[in-house]
Amino acid sequence: MITQLPIINLLLFLGMALIIPLFKKRSFSLTTNLGLGVLFLVWISSIVLLYHVITEGAFYYQLGNYDRMLGIELLINTFSVLFSLFIVSLVIIIYIYSTGDATEGVAEKEYGRYYILLFILLFAMLGILYTNDLFNTYVFMEILSITTVSIISIKRKKENYTAAFRYVMLNEVGSLSYLFGVALLYMITGYTNIELVSEGVQSGWSLYPANILTAIGFMVTGIGIKAAIFPFHIWLPDAHSTAPSSSSAILSAVVVKVYILIMIKILFRVFGIDIIQAVHIPTVLLVIASIGMIMGSIFAIAQTDVKRMLGYSSVAQIGYIVMGIGMVSMLGLQAAFFHIFSHGLMKAALFLSVGAVIYHKKIRNVNEFDGIGFQMPVAMFVFSIAALGMIGVPLTTGFISKLNLGLAALDAGQVVLIVVLIVSGFLNALYYLPIMISAFLKDNKDQQRVMRVEKIPKTMLVPLVVLGGLIIAIGLFPGELLSLLEAAALSLT
Amino acid sequence: MSFLDALIDHINYIGAMALFVIGLHTVVTHSNLIKRIMGINIMGTAVFLFFVAIGNVTGGVPPIIDQTNPDAVYINPLPSVLILTGIVVVVSITVYSLSLVIRIYETHGTIDQEEIAKMTSEDRDQ
Amino acid sequence: MGLFKKEGKTCNMPYVKKKGFFGSFTIQSSLVVLFALVFIALFIIGVRGDLGILSFVQDIYVLRVIYDFLIHLAILPVIIIAFPVLGVFGLMLFGRNSCNSRDMIVIFMTLFTILFTLFMYPAVLEEGVHLTIPSILWLGISFSVDMLGFTMLMITSLLWLLVMVYAHEYMKKEMHCNRFFVFMGITYSAVLGTIMAGDLLTLFLFFEIMTFASYMLVIHGQREDSYHAGYNYIFMGIIGGFAILVAMMLLYFTVGDLAFTSGIATLGELGAMKYWIIGLLVFGFGIKAGMAPVHVWLPRAHPVAPTPASALLSGIMIKLGAYGILRVATSYYFPLEGTPGGDPVWLTTHAVGSAIIWLGIITMAVGVFFALQQSNIKRMLAYHSISQMGYIVMGIGVALYLGDLGAMGYAGAIYHIINHALFKSLLFMVAGVVFYHTGESNMYKLGGLWRKLPLTATVCLIAALGISGIPLFNGFISKSILHHGIVEAHYYGHGLFYYAELIFIVISAGTVASFIKLFYYVFLRKMPEQYKSIKPEYNNLDTAMAVIAIIIVFIGLNPRFIMTTFIVPQLNSMPYSSEFVQTYIVGLTFFTTEDLLTMLVVVIMGFGIFIFGTKFHLFHLKIPYWLSLEYLVFYPMNWVIRNACQLMYGDECKYNEKTLKRLALKNNKEIGFLDRFVIMANVFNVRYEGRMIKSDAFIYTVFITGVLVFMLVMRAL
Repeated sequence: MITQLPIINLLLFLGMALIIPLFKKRSFSLTTNLGLGVLFLVWISSIVLLYHVITEGAFYYQLGNYDRMLGIELLINTFSVLFSLFIVSLVIIIYIYSTGDATEGVAEKEYGRYYILLFILLFAMLGILYTNDLFNTYVFMEILSITTVSIISIKRKKENYTAAFRYVMLNEVGSLSYLFGVALLYMITGYTNIELVSEGVQSGWSLYPANILTAIGFMVTGIGIKAAIFPFHIWLPDAHSTAPSSSSAILSAVVVKVYILIMIKILFRVFGIDIIQAVHIPTVLLVIASIGMIMGSIFAIAQTDVKRMLGYSSVAQIGYIVMGIGMVSMLGLQAAFFHIFSHGLMKAALFLSVGAVIYHKKIRNVNEFDGIGFQMPVAMFVFSIAALGMIGVPLTTGFISKLNLGLAALDAGQVVLIVVLIVSGFLNALYYLPIMISAFLKDNKDQQRVMRVEKIPKTMLVPLVVLGGLIIAIGLFPGELLSLLEAAALSLT
Repeated sequence: MSFLDALIDHINYIGAMALFVIGLHTVVTHSNLIKRIMGINIMGTAVFLFFVAIGNVTGGVPPIIDQTNPDAVYINPLPSVLILTGIVVVVSITVYSLSLVIRIYETHGTIDQEEIAKMTSEDRDQ
Repeated sequence: MGLFKKEGKTCNMPYVKKKGFFGSFTIQSSLVVLFALVFIALFIIGVRGDLGILSFVQDIYVLRVIYDFLIHLAILPVIIIAFPVLGVFGLMLFGRNSCNSRDMIVIFMTLFTILFTLFMYPAVLEEGVHLTIPSILWLGISFSVDMLGFTMLMITSLLWLLVMVYAHEYMKKEMHCNRFFVFMGITYSAVLGTIMAGDLLTLFLFFEIMTFASYMLVIHGQREDSYHAGYNYIFMGIIGGFAILVAMMLLYFTVGDLAFTSGIATLGELGAMKYWIIGLLVFGFGIKAGMAPVHVWLPRAHPVAPTPASALLSGIMIKLGAYGILRVATSYYFPLEGTPGGDPVWLTTHAVGSAIIWLGIITMAVGVFFALQQSNIKRMLAYHSISQMGYIVMGIGVALYLGDLGAMGYAGAIYHIINHALFKSLLFMVAGVVFYHTGESNMYKLGGLWRKLPLTATVCLIAALGISGIPLFNGFISKSILHHGIVEAHYYGHGLFYYAELIFIVISAGTVASFIKLFYYVFLRKMPEQYKSIKPEYNNLDTAMAVIAIIIVFIGLNPRFIMTTFIVPQLNSMPYSSEFVQTYIVGLTFFTTEDLLTMLVVVIMGFGIFIFGTKFHLFHLKIPYWLSLEYLVFYPMNWVIRNACQLMYGDECKYNEKTLKRLALKNNKEIGFLDRFVIMANVFNVRYEGRMIKSDAFIYTVFITGVLVFMLVMRAL
């Protein structure tokens, strides 16, 4: 029974997406409650799977019982289950928030469609994590990008259309690059199953180095585009800032991370450490990560739209994760994984709190945040916690990420990276602190001096508080998570 | 001579690469959104051609089991199957982007990227 | 200049004045202070076995059980840290209705902290209090209180209690009192945690909390200049925090353990890395300590904070920077106890020490020179804090430099930490009282106040005599110990330190001159008309100040009490030569002719400087701006930024005329480096963001080609 859970998870999401149109006319709350139920079911089954994987070890699932040479195979190991659990948990929180705030700019008749897209998005993300097949990954990636672009353009505003178009163009180039890489690998090995391809690549490395080298180049670039690694970040700020707040949170906190996880899978499971080091991909990754960490922050400093600022901040934070990958060591990978978690939490908290401000006060400009802390204390406290995490203040997850990354950099003998880490942290302070200061310490026109909990729906407040609490809780006790992540990193090799 | 042989042997790969570069060139140089979509499609075709060409076996017959000829060498059917899926994906993306172009034309009154960029930056300055 | 906000309500609720002797807040808080003082004295004397108090306690069963329970409580450090936080919750819950009950909660929480700190004393005398909490912050945090920590805890908590008593009265005139006390509590908790930290991670954790919490105290006034000072404070604090973080990573990577134990065996073999680590640590802690090149935040932040906050900032928080340096240097960079003096492991310590001595000397000189130029009382005191921190840092340097003979420098540094905490917070309190009554903090506009504020004038005189190092007051003791230290550095070490000693004497004379100036201009002279109507009444301000003044005089008259109770036990647990400690520290005679003569020279020179300075107007030097530190440091950076715009746009910088005009400002006083940087980022963004977005596929082409070529080239090589 447990071995059937992965496919049940996938089908639950897909089925939910298909059912929503039937409910649409009757009741909106029925739809959301049912969706929440489905999410919780998948959450529980993910926990069961995690327990199973840790105690009994990884297992394979052949779709339709086809042989792995021909058919699609799912691989359920610590890596895939842990991250699917992360995705589902974070999405549950954001989902609850979105039931209060799906309204931001979305027409009422679109609610149902929004949730359809959300569940297809979840289906694709889980599929990407579970699948053990390169071509299947491509298909899921395309499902993911088409749902993403639909979510971006759901608001029916002109900036949404341009942002969506920009996204779709660049991402399609990325997908095709990835597919080209798959084709090159298929040419040598004759398979698309990751493990079989990996065997073929290892034995074919001396025979066809040119093919493999080109394949690495195209695949890394292709996924780099989708993961918004620095020079390809150009689509991200517009796309993430124009989307409705709750989906900005999902896009920034989860979707981008999924692409990074694909990259990790490809680098470490398909090619293996020896080959990627032989072609100096780590150097490329470290260089673009470092530039991205600095440049992303500098662009973020200059933004006046708070959501665009958060988008650029994501660019910088993706740099941290890529840096961890680029160290090509167990510690580096563990640090990258941890930062995926911690950035997921922090960025979700930031987008949701800013979303609450936009919802309640209709303010998007950074310069208009004066005194917001008195009017919306909960949202701005959560914002502050997450922003301090971004700077790397102890007691938040950001500090642990920074510590882990720094130690991994020392372990890899790259002291320069620590300097980059510190400079980037300081630049983060340069754009997050003024917002916090003006929110809590400056007076606004209303002259409201006494803090009063803002009047926004409870479904928006509770997720915010939960996220803030999680940031501090994991920042205080990261030990358990880190050991799980170590197991996940081990399961890649 | 050997160079020419190699050229002829790999003509499908070379053709695919050429198509890829043509498509990319279209995307890079044109600011008309429709033309950019066309560029993407050309790139897609290049990758599909490449993929299908891998599956080719010299002297192979289409992979339809022929009872009368048990020694027949079939070409690899799997790439073709995969590419069928790929084509569906690219078509859907194309359709979506074309519909976006329609929307952009409705809201901006133009489908030229330069002009749209100019309009957006003016919007932001205000 | 109205430092107090005139408009609006000053506090949300009324201060109720109760009838009756014991109903008055002043009497209540005085009783609390009295109780605390008596309890401290009795407990310390009792535990040391004098007066038979301990045997009295041991005889009564109930007392004995309570006593044994308390002194063996393992979680005492956590309790001590938790008390101020509890106080914060308490005042948020109950303090909404009445200022008096809010302040009583604060005062009582501080009192409890003192009591629980005292309960650690018996354990500290033996092997110290150690508590490890694994798994917090991944590496686990730990607390460890030894005599050094206990000394810091005592002076901190005692001073905090007095400042809280003072703050009750002073904050009546400020806004947002609740916020002030909330962040005061958090800062207090963080300060205690920093002192009790048993490893660098814990220290860093509480240090950062302290930086962020005390930011709220600096910016409390919410005026333009407090925002300005606040930016300076917080960004330098963050930079310092990052420096410590990097040093911590390096240490963890090289030594593998962050606990404060000797790491010199591993560190000694590291080559340049060991100097990087200590350099980063000194830089990081030095920012908080106000050391010379990175002191710039201090003279801005201290004057704008409300007086109770600046008293604590100057009295306690900057000491934590020195404490941090002392802690890391005497643990990681000290060999194990019992290492002989000539051992080669001392070489690193030696090198680090000599650098720190000179840093201290420079800090002293810079502080005094600028202090003499100030007219704002609080600003002048802030510069003196820098200068006095220089003394302390110099002492720490001597403690390291002389290896096993450095006990004199160590003792001087600790003693001066205690003394400076006392007289500097007292001086800030005096400045606060003057400001409270007159609303003026420019000393040239004040005068003759001793008639109106006799008690304030008296305590100011005591504090000034203390900081000037006049015999019979506490500053004399620590300054003469430090003087011994620097003489020994010259005697046992390098000849160059002879000049250090000379500078030391000149700077002490500068301090004397500057306090003659302060006292003369504020309290003597002729009183301006508008202050004739001041009618002070005895209140909490006076209680707090009087108690500190009494402690100052007490220490000045009984120099040996602090020495034997707090400092000698520390020295005995250090790898210092016990012979040296016995002869020169325990057997140290104060008030020797030599010391008194030195002091006499200093005082005469001080008067000379004062008279000479007023005569020739040397206290109003307009120092050319290009000599200032910010200018020198930021000039190249600013130059780069100003020219980068030209690079991006060619000759015409088109974007938003007004912003660019600000960017191109030549004068760095009008626009800070960070501001300039932000504007630069804006210009950069406007110029390149759109272009990057437009050229999406082009970037892809370049990138893929670049990566493929790079991989091919690297393979071919």
